[in-house]
Amino acid sequence: MRRLPEKDVAVVGLGAAGGVAVLPLAEAGLQVVGLEAGTRLTARDFSPDEIRNNVRAWPFASQKANREIPTVRATSRHPTSRGSTHPMMNGVGGTSLHYWAQSWRLNPWDFKTVSETTRRYGARRIPDGSTVEDWPFGYDELEPWYDKVEWEVGISGQAGNVAGSIHPTGNRFEGPRKRDYPMKALRWNGFLEHMADAARGLGWNPFPGPAAINSEPYQGRSGCRYHGFCDRGGCHVDAKNSTAVTTIPRAEQTGNLEIITRAVATAIEVGGEGRASGVRFIQDGEEYFQPAKSVLLASYTYENVRLLLLSKSRLFPNGLANNHSQVGRHYLSHHQHAPVSALFPFDMHAWYGLPAQGVAIDDWADDNFDHGGLDFVGGGNLWVMSDRKPIQAANMSTFGRVPSWGSAWKAYVKNNADRFHYTYIQRTTLPYESNRLDLDPTSRDPYGLPVIRVTAQFKDNEKAISDFVQDRMVEWYRAAGAVEVQKGGEPNAMPVSTHAYGGTRMGDNPETNVVDRWGFSHEVPNLGVLGASVMGTSGAHNPTLTAQALAWRTADRLAESWSAIAG
Amino acid sequence: MAEQRPKGISRRDLLRTASVAGAAAAVGQTGSAAQEPGTASARAATYEHLTAEEAELLEAIADHLIPADDNGPGALDAGAVHYIDRSLGGAQSGSRDDYHSGLAAFDRYCRVTRNARFVDLEHTDQISALLDMQTGGASGARVGFLGSSAALFSMLRAHVLHGTFGDPYYGGNRDFIGWKLLGYPGPRVSVTTVDQRRLEAGELEAEYQSAYDWDSFVRSEDAEDA
Amino acid sequence: MVTHAFRISVLAVAVASTAIAGASTIVVESPALRTGETVPREYTPDGRNLSPPLTWEDLPEGTKELAVVCADFGAGNPPPWVHWILYGIPGNSVGLPAGLPIEPSVPMPAGLEGAIQGHNGWGISLYRGPAPPPGKAHIYHFTVYALDQKLGLGPGLDREELLEAMDGHILGQGEIVPTYERY
Repeated sequence: MRRLPEKDVAVVGLGAAGGVAVLPLAEAGLQVVGLEAGTRLTARDFSPDEIRNNVRAWPFASQKANREIPTVRATSRHPTSRGSTHPMMNGVGGTSLHYWAQSWRLNPWDFKTVSETTRRYGARRIPDGSTVEDWPFGYDELEPWYDKVEWEVGISGQAGNVAGSIHPTGNRFEGPRKRDYPMKALRWNGFLEHMADAARGLGWNPFPGPAAINSEPYQGRSGCRYHGFCDRGGCHVDAKNSTAVTTIPRAEQTGNLEIITRAVATAIEVGGEGRASGVRFIQDGEEYFQPAKSVLLASYTYENVRLLLLSKSRLFPNGLANNHSQVGRHYLSHHQHAPVSALFPFDMHAWYGLPAQGVAIDDWADDNFDHGGLDFVGGGNLWVMSDRKPIQAANMSTFGRVPSWGSAWKAYVKNNADRFHYTYIQRTTLPYESNRLDLDPTSRDPYGLPVIRVTAQFKDNEKAISDFVQDRMVEWYRAAGAVEVQKGGEPNAMPVSTHAYGGTRMGDNPETNVVDRWGFSHEVPNLGVLGASVMGTSGAHNPTLTAQALAWRTADRLAESWSAIAG
Repeated sequence: MAEQRPKGISRRDLLRTASVAGAAAAVGQTGSAAQEPGTASARAATYEHLTAEEAELLEAIADHLIPADDNGPGALDAGAVHYIDRSLGGAQSGSRDDYHSGLAAFDRYCRVTRNARFVDLEHTDQISALLDMQTGGASGARVGFLGSSAALFSMLRAHVLHGTFGDPYYGGNRDFIGWKLLGYPGPRVSVTTVDQRRLEAGELEAEYQSAYDWDSFVRSEDAEDA
Repeated sequence: MVTHAFRISVLAVAVASTAIAGASTIVVESPALRTGETVPREYTPDGRNLSPPLTWEDLPEGTKELAVVCADFGAGNPPPWVHWILYGIPGNSVGLPAGLPIEPSVPMPAGLEGAIQGHNGWGISLYRGPAPPPGKAHIYHFTVYALDQKLGLGPGLDREELLEAMDGHILGQGEIVPTYERY
């Protein structure tokens, strides 16, 4: 095993979270090494090719994630199953290279779910079996970092609440922000205008969704071209603000960031006093040890948990930072279930759009409506996007009207390819005692290391949210003139997801949380964790902006308190 | 309608060759193997990974999944089977066994239950056999399906769709048949607000090409780096 | 398990004859099927999987329309698994010939105009015969319902929706209950 020169900070994973953290650290003058399992990709790799992006899941990129797909079961009484592809990818920029780039702040309620629910509806409203806690701080604490990421990375959107002043064209339910977005929202098209009108007709408050995508030239990069291959596609003009084209290059320019690609981390080493001493990794079949004064784990929820559990030592026999058995606990994922699909009697002209181009409704999200007569807490965001690709269109639902092949099918698809729409409900999801991650006892990766096992099931609260919010979506579709509407069910077990939270939860109490309010392990003071694995609630919105704001905040803390944390 | 037709050419073949301009095949004609579509030797010359029998069967299946009809050409004309054959040499090489064993099992199923190879069955019996593959009913006939025949059907349908509606760089969607069927105006690198308005007004002309007709993109087709 | 299925079969027959006060029992027969006997292969995926021929007699007076359901109460989650569902069958028809259409473009034969095949358990609008897991015989109830009016139902109904629509309109019913086993 080759020992490399020591660095101040080793960051494991250069995705959305690790990719922002390296900038404040490098700008603070710390010597940072980013260990990334994938490789560097550029705009030339991002062709408008549905087969490559969507059918074959990026065969030209590193397939490490596909070699360690977690197993899944609903509860410990169910057998596990395993999918054939992983929804995340490896690369400099990680999944932020091809993600949908929806970039939301959480609602203030998401930080204080327990106390707010208790105050408004009574403590008995917290679902049985849930291990939910208030976050150790509120929205106001995180607001400066939300603002920082929005301006440094580049988020386009329409503000709804600027320092308490409500702007009705934005999200009137959002927490107050210091200032507007740096760029206006992505454009709407005729169909989206129509959906917004239908929502207003129902008395709802539609607004354009925020995205980590340039709506106009920004920081010397192009604005979005709306070419229609953004869904799991990289951006050919660098308008999608992955960390690969925003914070990582700026960090490299300081001269203080070294990036090692094709680096597969296998363990975090610990010294005699119980402090992290560095990261072991394999590159091209060779083993290396990267010593560091501090380690930031940023390899996404499943891998963060896995690396900790695999990093056993005398001082941490159950895995690093796991002496309170909290690693893997309080796991949840929250989206792409409870779908609703619709058929409109007119063409939507949706061939040139993107998933982040859309109309949002938050009237039924979070605690934005009175749950007085209802049997659940939280809610769901409704999101109507405009995005369509050919193979995807040919795979449209036929609403049981025609068979799935043959001349009748062909005629149906020919007439309706541009008339089909679907949505998923992204909803509040709480952590539960029985939902957790651990190491699978039998499935292993090619290095012989166990993969993660997900034991997680949607509970009554979340199913009730789905039922309720799906019905709202049906209402919206009907109000907009849909002639067919179909609600879908959801699986019993939570599948492997791009929105996976928990496993290294953040909180003041070391008995129930892995990291403290700054993101550092209660047990290992120079080990920080970045990403949605520190989040204790999901909210009804995408996690990435929050994960990035938290990551930047943890990095700032590390830089400011360097001698205290790194010793 | 009573027809004389050579064994091995289905009624669909006749409909297809009648509707596709320039086709040479007709009832009773012979020609050189390389020029007459529909013969086993022509197929063997065209495909690299599928045997002549497999290709004949897969063509017949694809022809049912997306037929040529009043709504235009179908999967066969689009080259969906060529797409599949090429993919079996690269990105889908992991599916080769599934194709070899699955197609053999399906043909055996047709012989055991309906007394003929799929390509020799009457049109309605072909549809019924495909439905039994689709629903999984064929699996219990013990003809060698690995697992449920429904999984094979899903794979075939998915691959035929990819080969009909995917970028022609991969060997399918010939003459942009699939994109034209859907009304997809073709890939672009930039769509302005004006373009979008013209699309909504029905005034945007389609521009058909492969993504790789532009020089700007790297063309790695297969999972060499996986 | 076989005992369980047999008990359900007895129950179903009992239900058929006493469910609705005054409801008559239709005599359902078939040149191909017999209660308690094996379905011939050609009406299964071990053969051509044609829909089987059925005949019915002793329709209650006032029958305006008929429906047919083929269900296996020993399968499905929850049971039954539906193999076939037809409705809108003209009230003056005497039965179904073998091999009804399996393509949307092919019309129903003469005498059955307006009859619609609804969604079976696979979600397709046609007959798919017995395909039980090997090792145990399953029991298939071909039930004929006589209705007191034309229900005017559209395409695509499944068994639950059909039963709901027929509720209160069933003048009588009858069934034939063959079996099938795969090895």
